[in-house]
Amino acid sequence: LFAFSLLHTAEPASGNVPALVSDTESEQEEEDPIDSQEIYDLIAHISDPEHPLSLGLLSVINLPDIQVHDSGDRNSMSEVVIRITPTITHCSLATLIGLGIRVRLDRCLPPRFRITILIKEGTHQSENQVNKQLNDKERVAAACENDQLLSVISQMLATCK
Amino acid sequence: MIQKLHTLLGHTDKVWSVSLHRTLPLVATVSSDKQCRVYDLGSGQLVTVLDDTHKRSICSVAWKPTSALELPALAMGSFDATVSIWGREDHEDTGDDWNLLAIIEGHENEVKGVCWNKDGYLLASCSRDKSIWIWETDESNDEFECISVLQEHSQDVKHVTWHGAEDLLASLSYDDTVRIWREDDDDWSCVAVLNGHTGTVWCSDFEIQTSQTARLESEANGEANGEANTNGVGRETRLVSCSDDTTVRVWNRVAISSSSAFRTNEQWEQQSILPQIHTRAVYSVSWSPYSPRIASTGSDGKLAVYRESAAGWVVELVQELAHGIYEVNSVAWGRLGELEILVTGGDDGNVHVWSVSN
Repeated sequence: LFAFSLLHTAEPASGNVPALVSDTESEQEEEDPIDSQEIYDLIAHISDPEHPLSLGLLSVINLPDIQVHDSGDRNSMSEVVIRITPTITHCSLATLIGLGIRVRLDRCLPPRFRITILIKEGTHQSENQVNKQLNDKERVAAACENDQLLSVISQMLATCK
Repeated sequence: MIQKLHTLLGHTDKVWSVSLHRTLPLVATVSSDKQCRVYDLGSGQLVTVLDDTHKRSICSVAWKPTSALELPALAMGSFDATVSIWGREDHEDTGDDWNLLAIIEGHENEVKGVCWNKDGYLLASCSRDKSIWIWETDESNDEFECISVLQEHSQDVKHVTWHGAEDLLASLSYDDTVRIWREDDDDWSCVAVLNGHTGTVWCSDFEIQTSQTARLESEANGEANGEANTNGVGRETRLVSCSDDTTVRVWNRVAISSSSAFRTNEQWEQQSILPQIHTRAVYSVSWSPYSPRIASTGSDGKLAVYRESAAGWVVELVQELAHGIYEVNSVAWGRLGELEILVTGGDDGNVHVWSVSN
């Protein structure tokens, strides 16, 4: 109950954390905030590992299921939450698809972004298990050192512009 | 008050773990760049780089608790499924010749944590293969014999922590539990399961009481005194743990029972949840050996310090964006002279040394 309470925190989890002016960098450069359409455009062209179609065309990724909290300030943290809809509820490749999305965003987004990838509620029988794995930093880092897995992901990302 | 003393630069990828030597002013840091870097804490100068051994990210590091008569040595665990042991060649302060002493194989896949017991004769390692291995060694650090494989966690074991004064091991897991292990009737067994966290438990640290700290330091300096209170009997034994569920919790051993003929059990209970500061996963926690304080850090980039008072745990300070916009993976307490310090390592590849006033 207490675990996810935000009541006692100093500020909200999303964006707008006051920037710390550190000794090395004091620039407060503002960029245009990144919005959900831009996130969608970055990932919609990823190919499905099984079908010759993109995740956007298969409606695995849908614009309303992308939430972004970004102020455009490159010195504060930002957040993006993506909920994916697997094509079938027992899709064994849901984890791979999620990992492909994470790798794409890690490579394209500025480092201020914290990325959360979830299975859209009720669309997969192992929802919690997949969610946990997709958002475990160590498991993701280890997976990204697996050449075999990376080459599959590269193929999925080859159709991105 | 918290103030940044140094930034130790050099890693070119995520820093996963930092370890401070118990008596020498040395800090070891490990990274996805497959290097371990050793720095002098006082000057911030690089002492040595240990590399060309691991094929994948190094994510854990721990100094062996050696006495002043022994040369410093450390263990590191890598995603390549091995643990390597390194030591300095001679006592010369200028000598930075460090040798690879052993490579330990056994785990099936990524090693996620390593830790030495109180006197450095036992090393524990843990892995995504769900197991914890306990290795026995001696002063030479070149032979490691596996004396037990513990396999009760149902998922990855993320971290292992030995108690500083008794042979009690805590393990933390992706299965959301903390397990406590001790030697019982010639084998190691799980004596308690701590349930409460609602996400992966990333890290833990036992409380070391001031009297224990003094004893360990005098032992390490080669003084043969102070066997009083060595096993913590009659004292509170406590553990702090942190989790993906964004909480930091303190657990307390309330009883040890050996009622059944063959098995010891310990009763542990959750004593408190520290004031909620973090908004994302908490990756690392450290209990100060010098003051009644705990530090935590994690994915939200905050470095928090809590102090125990008569009224319970209160937040003493919060450093926002400790590594800028990057996540912070590791925090450890240490001391430079009389000054209490914290060392943090983050995804930016940097290691910061902070002074924290008492």
